[in-house]
Amino acid sequence: MSRIKLVSGPSGIRFVMPLGLAMLVAFNIPVVLMLAWGFSSPAGALAPWADMIERTVYLRVLANTFRIALICTLVCAVLGYPLAYWLCCLQGRARMIALALVVLPFWVSILVRTYAWIVVLGNNGVVNRSLLELGLITEPLALIYNELGVVIGTTNVLLPFLVLPLFAAMLGIDRRVLQAASGLGAPPGTVFWRVFFPLTLPGLAAGCILVFILTLGFFITPAILGGGRVSMIANMIDLLINRMPRWELAAALSTVLLLATFVCYAFYLKLSKRGAA
Amino acid sequence: MKLRRRHLIGSAAALAGTASLGRLVRPAHAAVTEFRMIEAGGPSGDSIEAGYIAPFTEKTGISVVRESPSGLGKLRAMVEARSVTAALLELSSPELEQAKALDLLEPLDWDAIDPLPMFPEARDDHGFGYQYYSTIMAWHPDARAPSTWAEFFDVENFPGRRALPDYAAYILAMAVMADGVAPEDIYPIDLDRAFAKLESIKDHVAVWWQAGAQPPQLIRDGEVQYAVAWSGRVAGQEGIEYSFAEGQLDIAFFTVPKGTNPDEKAAAMGLLHEMTVPENQAVAAGVIPYTGNSPDLDALLPQDNLEQLPTSAQNRAVQVLSDARWWYENADEIELRWQEFKLSL
Repeated sequence: MSRIKLVSGPSGIRFVMPLGLAMLVAFNIPVVLMLAWGFSSPAGALAPWADMIERTVYLRVLANTFRIALICTLVCAVLGYPLAYWLCCLQGRARMIALALVVLPFWVSILVRTYAWIVVLGNNGVVNRSLLELGLITEPLALIYNELGVVIGTTNVLLPFLVLPLFAAMLGIDRRVLQAASGLGAPPGTVFWRVFFPLTLPGLAAGCILVFILTLGFFITPAILGGGRVSMIANMIDLLINRMPRWELAAALSTVLLLATFVCYAFYLKLSKRGAA
Repeated sequence: MKLRRRHLIGSAAALAGTASLGRLVRPAHAAVTEFRMIEAGGPSGDSIEAGYIAPFTEKTGISVVRESPSGLGKLRAMVEARSVTAALLELSSPELEQAKALDLLEPLDWDAIDPLPMFPEARDDHGFGYQYYSTIMAWHPDARAPSTWAEFFDVENFPGRRALPDYAAYILAMAVMADGVAPEDIYPIDLDRAFAKLESIKDHVAVWWQAGAQPPQLIRDGEVQYAVAWSGRVAGQEGIEYSFAEGQLDIAFFTVPKGTNPDEKAAAMGLLHEMTVPENQAVAAGVIPYTGNSPDLDALLPQDNLEQLPTSAQNRAVQVLSDARWWYENADEIELRWQEFKLSL
């Protein structure tokens, strides 16, 4: 093993140059140009910004997006934490199978998964029919075409983004610390809450921020499962670009969204650094 | 989300690629052997292929490549990037007005189109109205049949969930009719009145749809009992009842993006001519029950299907033609109020 010399430092840069260039030309420069659109309105450089502040609807949609992202993040955390913990406790083949089940959704198109929820949760879907037949309800429950549907669909798509980093963080915890705690007489509950849980917090927080950021840009899920009643910013920007077309305002809104995402990302970097340390 | 983005980037790159390639290899005045069009897609695109492109290609040898979907955003992107890759692009009537205001279109050459008789409102300096479509009421066979918008909006006597369009342009006129405005007095639409009427029904609306395929699916799934739908999606469909009464008649236009290669534009005028031929329109109407611009079309259609079609004499008489000019002039205000209304759901 020692004979393999890893390329690192400045000499390694030539290997990432093609990707770096492609990102610069195909992504970064267009994004900057797009941001410039926000100041290019014929009605004056700041007109779309004034518009955005004056007609509060755009910022309210943005706020609504943040609220939904927060809900999805919390749901992912509550569902994902026990799942990651359970994965940690499994051994060998059982863990491999369970991990495969967590990763499996990545292999199915997001579009297919989103439509699948219609079959499962619709008025004539599996869940409502079963509940009706069992006599537990008399009217079908409204599980999709509302905010609940968007939260379910989004959580389904994003759960692995929380579980996998969290699982890795949990694996990285030195078991001897836990043994030391119980050796000193702490009951299992105390070991978990005072030793294990605090050690996983940076990993959990980093996973949460990742889910939060990804939810901010969700487009297909609210479009299909929201029933048109869940206003989210990506759909609003699509409307402003493709249908109106008011690109200046769309660019201004995108700028606000990008800045908000950067702030979240800064938190993510800080927390994942703390997690690594 | 990912899929869409990739698709957009992919098609943008493809557009740019074909454009520059075309410029490199095209000699000065070569005969056009192919041009591209951007249309709405779905069965409507298939009807264009069968009804108009097939006879056009047979006559001229020029092939036409279809892309979809269309929209103002695409038009603006092509024109402002000076990389016009389609000689024809489909727009709705308010979009046509807006595209003209933004100076995104070439004028049409009506002498070259040399049209057969067509309805006057389908003829515009910059737009060729090729397809009539209606926005109408549809319902599940088990639900009580409404015959007016007042009844459609009456959730007491016509109980059941509704699916309404997530487009102000396809529901505000119905809302004021439901509130008692006579069909001939709709325009200018009283926005306060329209939104108040929508407020009264919003708790009974299960879905605000964006895709035309949704209303028939929602009715069949039992998700809703009543829906406002585009006629071509529900007329003649198994398990769905519908009525053209007080329906809204709209026209889809083909336009030529500003900066289109003149030779391609000239070839495209030939395809537009094919779209005035009633026999071709009958073929297209056989693919999707939307009708063309010819007053002579009715006689060529299967007579037992006439009640499914937007412009058959019997249906035209009970519908209202959308006022594209009014929609265009008020577009920004309407969209803001619409988004505010949606936030209150």
